[in-house]
Amino acid sequence: MTDAIRPEAIYDAMGAVLTRWTMGSAAAQAAPFWRAELGEDPAEAELRLLALSGQFLGIAVTAEPAMSLRVLPDIPRLALPTLPEALRPLARRILAPKKMAQAELVHFLAARGWTTHPADWMPSGGDDDVPEVYAPWCDWAEIAASGSAARQRPNEVLTADTWDDFWPTMRKAALASLRRRDPAAARAVLEAKLGNENAETRLRLLALLAERLSEDDIAFLEGIAANDRAPKVKTLASSLLARLGHGSAIDAEAAELAGFFPVKTKGIFRRTQMIEAERLKTPAQWQRRRALFARADLASFSGSLGMTPDALIGCWSWNADPEADTALVGLIVASGSDSEVAQVADLVDGPNATGLLMVLAPRLGPAARAKFAVTALNAQGIRFELAQAMAGPAARLDDPLSAPAGKTLLAALRRDDAKPADFGGELHALGLIASREGARRSLERLTAAGLVQGDPRLDMLRLNAALDDRGEKP
Amino acid sequence: MDLKAVEQLATDQSSLKAAAGLAKPGKWSGVGGSHDGALIWGECAGSGANPYRVMADLRDLGNKCTCPSRKFPCKHVLGLLWLNAEAIVPFKPSDTPDWVSDWLGRRRGTSAGRPAASATPGAEKDLRAARAVDAEIVEDPKDVARREAQAARRSEETERAILDALDALGQWIGDQLRLGLSGFIDDATARCRRIAARLVDGKAAALAGRIDELPGRLLALPPGDRPRGAVVELGKLVLLSRAFRAAPRDAEMRRAVATSETRETVLADPGALRIEARWEVLAEQVQTRRDGLVSQTTWLLNLGATGPRFAMLLDFFPASAGKRGSVFTPGERFHGELVFYSSAQPLRALLVQRAAAEEAQGVEWPAPDATLSDAMSLLLLAEPWTIDIPLLLPQGRIARDEAGGSWWRSLDGTSALPVADTPEGLLCGTDLSITAAIWSGNRLTILAAQTPWGRIGSHD
Repeated sequence: MTDAIRPEAIYDAMGAVLTRWTMGSAAAQAAPFWRAELGEDPAEAELRLLALSGQFLGIAVTAEPAMSLRVLPDIPRLALPTLPEALRPLARRILAPKKMAQAELVHFLAARGWTTHPADWMPSGGDDDVPEVYAPWCDWAEIAASGSAARQRPNEVLTADTWDDFWPTMRKAALASLRRRDPAAARAVLEAKLGNENAETRLRLLALLAERLSEDDIAFLEGIAANDRAPKVKTLASSLLARLGHGSAIDAEAAELAGFFPVKTKGIFRRTQMIEAERLKTPAQWQRRRALFARADLASFSGSLGMTPDALIGCWSWNADPEADTALVGLIVASGSDSEVAQVADLVDGPNATGLLMVLAPRLGPAARAKFAVTALNAQGIRFELAQAMAGPAARLDDPLSAPAGKTLLAALRRDDAKPADFGGELHALGLIASREGARRSLERLTAAGLVQGDPRLDMLRLNAALDDRGEKP
Repeated sequence: MDLKAVEQLATDQSSLKAAAGLAKPGKWSGVGGSHDGALIWGECAGSGANPYRVMADLRDLGNKCTCPSRKFPCKHVLGLLWLNAEAIVPFKPSDTPDWVSDWLGRRRGTSAGRPAASATPGAEKDLRAARAVDAEIVEDPKDVARREAQAARRSEETERAILDALDALGQWIGDQLRLGLSGFIDDATARCRRIAARLVDGKAAALAGRIDELPGRLLALPPGDRPRGAVVELGKLVLLSRAFRAAPRDAEMRRAVATSETRETVLADPGALRIEARWEVLAEQVQTRRDGLVSQTTWLLNLGATGPRFAMLLDFFPASAGKRGSVFTPGERFHGELVFYSSAQPLRALLVQRAAAEEAQGVEWPAPDATLSDAMSLLLLAEPWTIDIPLLLPQGRIARDEAGGSWWRSLDGTSALPVADTPEGLLCGTDLSITAAIWSGNRLTILAAQTPWGRIGSHD
């Protein structure tokens, strides 16, 4: 019986059996050890051999991997804890629909001192809009995609010598942190290494110098502005220089731009200066002015007008020419100092204030962004979605529903023809800008207005209300 | 909520009658309502292995059920509303489950729950009539005997038809060998379709479904492995048809070749294995088959000490019935009673009763099998034609080969099994302390795993 047959003998015969069947020939001859089991009838013998071989090949023969198998490194633990287990299903539901909601949520969580569970969300390698805390995961994703098995060295200090030991996202994060601690050391590393990177990377890394920008950076930035291969990197260096008051010299273009904005004096006793935009008559003039703004910087523009940048901002006639307002704010964002940005943020007012503040937002700190969002919510009656875009991820509003947007929302939700999916975006944005207490109170008022507690539009508010706020308050 | 509304909502008297039959506590589990009383939900045992999830919004009577019925609302929704209207079971206020919230988010408007009465004014519906129990009809013993004789004759005819179909199958398998397996592999879909159609005519529907899916399994293998895969698949068919010939009346053989017993038959079988335990939902697999049916397989892990380690709840419904909601959430744990279809290695089961879902923490997964090769072959000793073998794998990790294929490799490096799809993210960036997977046709499908990051599913 089969007991006496060695498995090796069967295994050796299987090659011949398979070859014969593949070609369409009878195979019973190739398995002489099973002669008794297969019997005399040739057709029956083939079927019996098929049953026996199938059983043998199914159990005893499994695929073997090629020589080398690659194992990816462990996904590292992040500096912030993962979301509590009980809140993960809620977070998963918010993460599910689209990329935009994912970015908003991960920024919100990071601002509150949490990170996602890697099974619920992980950044991809090239993801740029991700909180810095996820840098180790960005690099892990890049390692996974690259086919390289190199290990990260997360504890290494970034220097010109250790530059190549870091994967790109962690390197950028390490550089940003070094810049915050020791600006000169960060600049020294960049001086040694920036030239070897591609233009996109150079642009991203150079932008890190905006933090703690000082006179000491001028020489390095001037070198980049003069010699870099990529125009956009040069432009960024010039714009950083301009923030330090080292804009380009007053040239013919700056003077031409100044020509569109005559300086007038006003008042009989206290003669104050006013800058009013010249009324433009032809489309060509509009176009020319736009083009000049695009190439100018704040210092050279104000110099052409014979004043300092802060005096220019103070004398500007806001709301007279909205396009000129926007262009000036754009100029300040690109090449103004932090104090000039703060000055203009306090000054803007009127119907376009929201739009202007949105342009300023990237240069404002979290506290200032939240403050302006509250002002705009109450004074200009903007919607929560806009307020959220203005406030960024670190806002913590205690009573957002009392703003005009909240009243409008409550009234709309109470209407008889309200549909179950309406106002999802508004409710989601409300959940992102409210403080934990604000989220709790909003939930109470919304359910009192007829929304069911399990309504998925309330997911973000529910997550916020249930999540311990461990983040740094702006 | 009152009974009048249930009456108005029903599309016809027969729905109402069916709902009356379901308005009994024993048919339901996991019944609950939102804290504000607006939403109610529950799970109702249907004719399949998985229960149906039923939910309703009492504000506008909008409703949803996961059953494939084309009636709207179906009898399960009416049954749930009836339970609520008459307070037959307590609707315990609790947090709204995700599946109810998900439905709420997908609802388009409030028109869905309008009473059907306006659409069919002519149809008279009466709750009292629906409630009335039909008087039992006393049958003439002669009729009973005649009916039994007819049933026995039908059963014999079926058996003969199946045996004829199996003869044709044997002939067909012989032909494939004579014509060469390389040709079979190239033309597997068309050839399998033809013999499957013959088997359907011969009342061997289950076998036909299996052969229809054979090309899919074969083509999932790397080209070099397909001749071996074809021999394994065809060899199993020979074994299965021989086993049927040996015991054509055996329930297990009938299930593998012809059709499964009904839910009622399994529940009424006094010898059927019943296990009351804590179960964890490992995964749900939904697959559209070539024969136009969608199979819905829920894999459960037994967290208790006794009974089979795995259970499989299997249902089929026509693809034309549309997408069906999931019945369970992977990772969910519940205490419940399962009844297993009779088998030498019980695996397929029906859910008899379950308590509400409970916290996922607490009980650990059972330890993996001592010897992996034994676990992979044990089931085949009893049922050598089996295709899917559920396994608990010991400590291991996902690795990749140079061609981009993925492998599960044991921590000690002694075994490596090819993984069916390409796992991404966390699954390949952490140690897998225990992995629940299906081994089928030389391919491993990972269902879930325990890791230092907690339990993760295959699609996390």
